[in-house]
Amino acid sequence: MAILEIKHVSKFFGGLAANADVSFTMTQGMIMGLIGPNGAGKTTLFNCITGYYPPSKGEVLFKGKLMNGLEPDMVCKLGMARTWQKVRPLAKMSVQDNVMVGALCRTGSLKKARELAMEQIMVVKLEHKADFPAGRLTIGERKKLEVARVLATRPELLLLDEVMGGLNPSESEEIIQLILDIKKQGITQMVIEHDMKAIMRISDRIVVLNSGEKLTEGSPQEVVNNPEVVKAYLGDFHA
Amino acid sequence: MKPLSLITGNTRGFSIPSLIIGIVLLGALFCFPSFVQSPYALHMMILLFLSTIMGESWNIIGGYTGQYSVGHAAYYGAGAYGTLVLLQKWEIPPWYGMWAGMAVAVLLSLIIGSICFRLRGPYFVLASIAVAEIVRITVLNTPAVTNGAEGILLSDLPPFKIGGTVITDFVSKVPFYYISLLLAIFTIVVTWLLQNSKLGYYVQAIREDQDAAHSLGISLSLYKSIALAISAALTSLAGSFYAIYIKFIDPSTVLSLDLSVQIVLIAIIGGIGTIYGPLIGALVLVPLSEALRSNVIAQGLINCGVVREDSGVGIFLKEHLAHAHVLIYGILVVIVILFMPDGVLGFVKKKSRDWGLGTGKGLDR
Repeated sequence: MAILEIKHVSKFFGGLAANADVSFTMTQGMIMGLIGPNGAGKTTLFNCITGYYPPSKGEVLFKGKLMNGLEPDMVCKLGMARTWQKVRPLAKMSVQDNVMVGALCRTGSLKKARELAMEQIMVVKLEHKADFPAGRLTIGERKKLEVARVLATRPELLLLDEVMGGLNPSESEEIIQLILDIKKQGITQMVIEHDMKAIMRISDRIVVLNSGEKLTEGSPQEVVNNPEVVKAYLGDFHA
Repeated sequence: MKPLSLITGNTRGFSIPSLIIGIVLLGALFCFPSFVQSPYALHMMILLFLSTIMGESWNIIGGYTGQYSVGHAAYYGAGAYGTLVLLQKWEIPPWYGMWAGMAVAVLLSLIIGSICFRLRGPYFVLASIAVAEIVRITVLNTPAVTNGAEGILLSDLPPFKIGGTVITDFVSKVPFYYISLLLAIFTIVVTWLLQNSKLGYYVQAIREDQDAAHSLGISLSLYKSIALAISAALTSLAGSFYAIYIKFIDPSTVLSLDLSVQIVLIAIIGGIGTIYGPLIGALVLVPLSEALRSNVIAQGLINCGVVREDSGVGIFLKEHLAHAHVLIYGILVVIVILFMPDGVLGFVKKKSRDWGLGTGKGLDR
C-alpha cells in the first residue's frame, strides 16, 4: 500500500527550479534512500513534503490525503515527521523535556509524556544524559536526540535529513542500527544521506536527484550501476 | 538542601525548607500593614507588587514564549481605560469594569498577534511598538470617549463588597495593599501553572526554535496567541489596579512607550523565563528608582561622611542628583545588563554554582 505519493512536484524560487517534476511512491514499511550531489534539491523536497514550502506544482499525497498547503504542525499530527539536517535542539531545555515536547503531540498529560519520552530516550540510548540541557550535547548526541524527539510524535512516516552527517564511524553505525530498529517497528522512512555505504545498506529503494530532477530510481544495486548516477556524482570523465 | 532553591524556582515539587520559608514570607507580607502604618512604606510595597504583576505578565510572552513585545502599554492602557471609562460614562463599578478592560486587552492581543506574529525577531519587536503607538494615538484622538490628552480623573470610588464585608475606605492604602499583593501572588501562581503544563512546554519550545517546534506538531500561531492573551489579560489587571489606585490616567502615563520599556526591564533585569525573575527585578528596580528620585543617596553619602555637605560635591549631589535620576537609572540598567546578561537571578545562580552553594539547576527551567 502506498503511504506516500509524490506526483510531479516542482518548487521554483524565482526562476530557479529547486525541484522539477519529481514523482515517486513509497510503500508501507520501506526505507527509501534519497541521494544526489549538493544542491540537488533533497532538502527542498523534504520541505515541500512536510509543509514548510507549498509545492509550486504537483501533489503530495500521504495515506491518500492531499497534503499541499497544510502547515507543518498538521503534517506532524497526521503522522509524518521530519528531522533537520542542521540539528535544532531546544537548547535551554533538558534532553527529557525536548523529547517530551514531541510526545505532547499525542497526549495532553505531562506525566504520560514524560514516560513516553523516557521510552524513546532509552531507544536512542541517551538515558544517562536525560537531565542535561540539550545545548550541551555533542553533535552525535544531538542527532540521536533529534531522532528520539521525532519518534516521540509517533510518526508513521519518518523523514531523516542527514542524521549521519558529521558523525564518526562508530556513531554512524549506531544510527544505522537505530534506523533498522525503527524499520522493525513498522515505521516507513525516507532517508537523505551522503554516506553511500550506509545508504546502500539500509535502503530498500533509492531515488537519485540531480539539479532538482529525478535522475533515476531503483534498488541500491541498480542505482550504483547506473552510468547516469556515476556521471552526476563524478562528472563526464569517469563515465 | 540548597539555600537558594526557593528563589531559583524548584519546579518539581517543593522541598520542606523552601515551603516553610515561603509560608513565613507570605505570612509576613500579609501582616505587614498591621505593623507598618506609614502610607509611604505601604505605597512602596504597592508599587513593588504592581511592578511584579507587570513583569510576571510580560514574562509569559517575553520570557517563556520568546516574543519580545515592547508594546505591553497597550494592554495596560486597555485595563486602565476600560475600567475608568465605564465608571465615568456609565457609572459601572470598577470591580466589573476591570473585566471589561481585560476583555478589551485580550481582544486587542488577538488582533495584534494576528498581525505581528507573522514577523520574527527584531521585526516583531518593531511591530509591537508600532501597534501600541497606534493605540495611544487613537486614545489621544477620541476625546469623546477617553477625554483625550486631559485624561480621566476619578473623584470617588463606589463601595466594594466581598462576601459580607463592605469596603468603603479607599483613602487608606491598606485595601490596595492587599488587592495588589493578591494580584501579584495570582500572577506568580499563573506562571507556575504555565510552567507545569503542556502550554508551558510548547511555548518554551517556540522560544528555543520556532521551526523545530512547528515540525513537532506545535501550531505557532495558536500557542503564541494563547500566551499573548494570558499575558495581556494579566497586564490589563495591573492597568486597572493602577487606575483605581492612582485615580488619574492619561495616555502619557498608561499608554506610553516608556511604560512598555519599563515592563520589559523588570523581567529582563530580574531574569526572564523564570518564575521569580520578575519579582527579583521589581525588588531591584522599584527601590532603585525611588532612591534616585528622592535625595536618599546624596543624604546618605553626606551622613556617612563620604562627602562634606558644604563642599562643592556635596552641594552638587544635594541639588542635582535627584534631577538626574533618569540618567543614572539608565546607566545602572545598562551596567546590570552588561554584567548580568541572564538577569540578577541568573547571576545569583551562576555565582552560587561557582561558590559551590548548589548546582543552581532549578534555574535552567
